[in-house]
Amino acid sequence: MISGVVDVAVVGGGPAGLAAAIKAKESGLEKVVIIERGGYLGGLLKQCIHNGFGLFYFREDLTGPEYARRFIDKAHDLGVEVMLGSMVVKMRPDRSMVVSSKEGLSCLLPKATVLAMGCRERSRESLSIPGTRPAGIFTAGTAQRYVNVEGFIPGKEVVILGSGDVGMIMARRLTLEGVAVRAVVEVLPYVGGLIRNEVQCLHDFDIPLWLEHTVTAVHGVERVEAVTVARVDRNWKPIAGTERTIACDTLLISAGLIPENELSRLAGVALDPVTGGAEIDENMETSVAGIFSGGNCVHVNDLVDNVTWEGEAAGRSAAACAGGRKRAEKGRIKLKAGRNVSYVVPQTITWGEEATLSIRVKEPAEQVRLRVGDIPVRAVRAVKPSEMIKFLLSGKEWAKLGGEIDELSITCDSRRD
Amino acid sequence: MTEPQIICIGCPLGCSVTLKIDEKGNIETLTGNQCQEGRMYVVAEFQSPVRIFTSTVLTEKGMGLLPVRTDKPIHKGQFKELMRVTAKLRVSSPCEPGQILVHNVLGTGANLIVSGSI
Repeated sequence: MISGVVDVAVVGGGPAGLAAAIKAKESGLEKVVIIERGGYLGGLLKQCIHNGFGLFYFREDLTGPEYARRFIDKAHDLGVEVMLGSMVVKMRPDRSMVVSSKEGLSCLLPKATVLAMGCRERSRESLSIPGTRPAGIFTAGTAQRYVNVEGFIPGKEVVILGSGDVGMIMARRLTLEGVAVRAVVEVLPYVGGLIRNEVQCLHDFDIPLWLEHTVTAVHGVERVEAVTVARVDRNWKPIAGTERTIACDTLLISAGLIPENELSRLAGVALDPVTGGAEIDENMETSVAGIFSGGNCVHVNDLVDNVTWEGEAAGRSAAACAGGRKRAEKGRIKLKAGRNVSYVVPQTITWGEEATLSIRVKEPAEQVRLRVGDIPVRAVRAVKPSEMIKFLLSGKEWAKLGGEIDELSITCDSRRD
Repeated sequence: MTEPQIICIGCPLGCSVTLKIDEKGNIETLTGNQCQEGRMYVVAEFQSPVRIFTSTVLTEKGMGLLPVRTDKPIHKGQFKELMRVTAKLRVSSPCEPGQILVHNVLGTGANLIVSGSI
């Protein structure tokens, strides 16, 4: 059991936490600790046996376990200390935390903390689907764990609600395992996940994709027997008369991810109502000095490569903070989501400092230009809410932006206007 | 003459590209792409739609499932046949990522390798 003063404590041993701990340790700190609730490091990557990881970070096409392995090995080699089966149950604004493990409770006093708890899936309950409550309703990620790690097949005939990446990947995985995937049902007029998953998971296996449809009822008492699917109007309201029933024994939900921030709240960290994650600055520092955050608990990323980079930035900054660096309080600029932008991370930046901005758009659009304030920063051929856009705000842009600003709006406009 | 459609996965645009294929199976025309990279992707995808295959194999009692993959992309039409191969495999000894389980699996030229560990 680890207790007492540590240099950097990292909450969560997934891709963001591993990256943060590695960078913190690499900057020369003595005691860097990962506190992981589960029984192993790597988080969700263990169950993501498909490829497509690391294309940007390693310029290699890896599976989830392979991607995780590289960081787990590195953390061990560097001497990062790991507490498995350990859960942070209390965290205060002074960063002190109580950890519960098999050995009992311990108290940690980190000089700096990185929050890397990741996210969890939206469930049937948060979608309010009417009908009975039989067995056979799972989130796509739970089904993924059953199939890829535990070795169970969740059902024989499946309908998937939502076309997020995990849902589409499970459509392919289950099809290969001999399960009949009857339909992927998406309320929006376009898929929720990446285009490559639409093609390689759905089209490759002729899985029906029903856009602008939703599940309006679940049938069955002991076990799911069928679901009712209906077309929706522009406000996502089911259109009467368009209902049809699909026989199935399983319903998977792939309808988005929610950053996990119960601990952040306990520590008094300010959260962004749009992302559901902590409000951070360009150094990944939250509203509470000495508490940093990165990865999917800040905002749900599209690719693990981006999660790793965010974790690394948080780890580096936490190490600097543990070494005595304080955040500049002057020249803080608030970033606002302007036209066709749903959110911007970080939420605040320091005037003149280089910053990597991640944004998501509200609506798909083609031939657009991104602007920070009045300054055009990037022309993009196509944008979609499912694909994150990252760009660097550097000295070049700051020179054009001028001083005396306390707010900047990020916009995404058509280049044709 | 056939006119298959291929969706480009190069960027979020997802261009739907239509090909005209003559009797000999050659590409006569290609329309709907908006860039040169897209054209190259669609030609390659038409000639040989290949993907990395990933799945799991059973291990001896108590060691869970072992993730596996091909070390090269293989034709997507061979996935189901490869599933029948992986269904029969059993691994008992400890393995490390990269270890070859089946050389030149199904004559694809690709090896089936371990992608996790037990």
